[in-house]
Amino acid sequence: MTKRAASSRRTFLKTGLAATAAVAAPGRLTAQTTPAAAKTVRAVMHGDLTVLDPIWTTANMSAYHGAMLYDTLFGIDGNLETKPQMVSKWGLSDDKKTWTFELRDGLKFTDGTALTSDDVIASLRRWAARDGAGQHMMQRVSEIAKKDDRTLAFILKEPYGYLVDALGKTSTPVCYIMRKKEAETNPMEKITAYVGSGPFTFNETETKQGARYVYDRNPNYVPRAEPASGLAGGKIAKVDRVIFENMADSQTALAALQAGEIDFYETPPIDLIGQLEGDKNLTLEVMNKTGNIGWLRMNFLHPPFNNVDARRAMLYLLNQEDFMKASFGNAKYYNKCSSNFGCGVPMQNDANIGWFKEAPNPAKAKELLQKAGYKGEPILLMQATNIDFMRNSADLVAGALRAIGVNVQVAASDWGGVVNRRAVKAAPDQGGWNLFITWADGNAVSNPIALAGHAATGEKAWFGWPSDAKNEELRDKWAVAGSLAEKQAIARELQDNAWNFVPHVWLGQWVAPTARRKNLTGMLAVPGVIPFWNVAKT
Amino acid sequence: MLAFIIRRLASTVLVMALVGVFIFLLLHLSPGDAAAIIAGDNATGEQIASIRKSLGLDDPLHVQFWRWAARVLVGDLGISIFSNVPVATLIGQRIWPTLSLSFTTIVLAVTLAVGAGVLAAWKAGSWIDRVVMILSVVSFSVPVFVVGYVLIYVFAITLRWLPVQGYTPIAEGLWPWARHLVLPSVALGLAYVALIARITRTAMLDVLAEDYMRTARAKGVATGPMLFKHALKSAGVPIVTVIGIGIALLIGGVVITETVFNIPGIGRLVVDAIAKRDYPIIQGVILLFSGVYVIVNLLVDLSYSLLDPRIRY
Repeated sequence: MTKRAASSRRTFLKTGLAATAAVAAPGRLTAQTTPAAAKTVRAVMHGDLTVLDPIWTTANMSAYHGAMLYDTLFGIDGNLETKPQMVSKWGLSDDKKTWTFELRDGLKFTDGTALTSDDVIASLRRWAARDGAGQHMMQRVSEIAKKDDRTLAFILKEPYGYLVDALGKTSTPVCYIMRKKEAETNPMEKITAYVGSGPFTFNETETKQGARYVYDRNPNYVPRAEPASGLAGGKIAKVDRVIFENMADSQTALAALQAGEIDFYETPPIDLIGQLEGDKNLTLEVMNKTGNIGWLRMNFLHPPFNNVDARRAMLYLLNQEDFMKASFGNAKYYNKCSSNFGCGVPMQNDANIGWFKEAPNPAKAKELLQKAGYKGEPILLMQATNIDFMRNSADLVAGALRAIGVNVQVAASDWGGVVNRRAVKAAPDQGGWNLFITWADGNAVSNPIALAGHAATGEKAWFGWPSDAKNEELRDKWAVAGSLAEKQAIARELQDNAWNFVPHVWLGQWVAPTARRKNLTGMLAVPGVIPFWNVAKT
Repeated sequence: MLAFIIRRLASTVLVMALVGVFIFLLLHLSPGDAAAIIAGDNATGEQIASIRKSLGLDDPLHVQFWRWAARVLVGDLGISIFSNVPVATLIGQRIWPTLSLSFTTIVLAVTLAVGAGVLAAWKAGSWIDRVVMILSVVSFSVPVFVVGYVLIYVFAITLRWLPVQGYTPIAEGLWPWARHLVLPSVALGLAYVALIARITRTAMLDVLAEDYMRTARAKGVATGPMLFKHALKSAGVPIVTVIGIGIALLIGGVVITETVFNIPGIGRLVVDAIAKRDYPIIQGVILLFSGVYVIVNLLVDLSYSLLDPRIRY
């Protein structure tokens, strides 16, 4: 072997080792800065986090992301009562037309800048431009005034009792407080920087869009002194890192949970719950006690559902039990519900529910349809075939209608197709529709203002465009009401009226248990968001 | 040869252009768009319309097409509607898991299949041949997701030998990288093992029946060199063709395998993008796939002349 050859080989080996070290270095650096597994929670949520701006979209995953990064002025606690969060003191003037809020001392964004009234006011304006409840509120607000860096005031045109609840609601978009810089972004455009003042920071370096979203504990967060409860109280992060893993396949997610590769799975399929119940390492818990409510929307713009008798026919035709059994099977996780505000909530009541006691009554439904002037015209039912509940329910609605002689045309597509077509106001034979199925969060349904679907403002209303002046008058009255008893009395009137003009038909209410490893403790039950503060890994 | 390569590369550009037009029209003419999905279920029609406008999705189709095509011509695949991240960056992040999975699958499939196919041909009619052929039929018939779930249940949940899901970059170590790829590669590779083994057996049977092979045996050439040096090379053209087809088909299999094993690769990227109607990602990835498909076919064609000197371009 020549010296030159030996040297060449040594050079080659050195170069190779150096290259290997260089390739491996990022991994080793990552390992040095990665929190220990015992301080990291890996969670599979109900979907992918596609939009990082929680104001720009109503997608629930974006609200989850927001709850990690941002804080709110108010938050609902575990009993669904609105409690102060970023606010320390607040008051209402004697004429009930000025609300004053003082921010807690020491609030800071994760970039180190102090959080001031300017940030809050800009955030409120952007949120109100996108949120239904925010818009309802702003119609009554003449000015949001800055008093000083820590104090702001809402000056109202008329008393508005719902204001604090609107600021603390968990139906999307949630009123998260951002830096003024981001909050001044056009509400129709997305923000591009994600700096909040919440219990976690967003680790953009470790995040891989579509695969995993990484949140690190915010060491500078100033929690409230009260114990954590829902979205209220002290938001103390007890783990160093939370990772939302995007796992598209439910079987894989279940296997990963059972193998201990993930700690939390938000939406295990109901048909696999039995498999999980027998696993001694796992805990099943319903975090959102108000669950979801399935509903059928009818198009008020076109026959036959522009006639109240046709809409009432649907109330009498459908049996909620069928819908719940078809999609959820296990009666432990569903119930029939006659209240227009859902069941198990403060606004639940039994006004005008004669139809519920009688349904299903196909003969009466047929009679009502005939009374509405229905003469066999095609009725177009949109069916989202990629979502089990929507696919099953559309089959059941079509079957029930056909059984009473209705000419049903099922327009099958994926959910994206339904979402697009439901916005079309034209007649069904010109690209429009008569019926579609969806569901809503039970907590949003419980609130006449928060759920867009409760509005009956005609062509300005949510899809289906119901119109009823009395409904709107009562919603406004509810928003102004002060006490819970007063709100409940108005809710009763609202429901009595709703089941007369029939804006929609409920298909049943269900809850979905979450699954987690037994060593994950301190999870907080609240509708709309899954909080990860207060969560510890033992 | 050079003229042939240039001609084929030019045709690649034409194929990709046609694929681009086709996929653009297919996506934009099918119902639904990203605006309604972004807005969420609680949004009103007005909110959806305003988002659609801000994304330029309400522009005439030809305007949208030229806007996209003009960027592609200068090498810019656009920006994801949802994440605001350039499509090229997203592809760059996702390409390595997919390449890793494809590489290990092909290596596994070719190694096992060629060996099994040669063995079956050599022992044609024996129990070995029958076992290889039965296993081939079974492997080819069982869907990849079923194989995947069974492997997860046995090797990840019951025996705890391997992880259920996920991907670790090779930079974090060879073993962490490999152990995450064992189950997906086996699940995805089984069908290719079956396909390649059957073709290898058939091609080898033809070659082994040739006079020159009989002569080789009569001259006392050892079995190993006879099978692998002389016979396999002569049987190479159909085997390489089917391997090439396999690589192209792998694209479809990768999509399912990445979903079952939660591998953050190109397959998952495009499936998620389709569900969300994230047009720039879908268009960019399909263009990439079409380019890979054409280039793999070109490489297969070029390899023919190496295996069979009679073939010249």
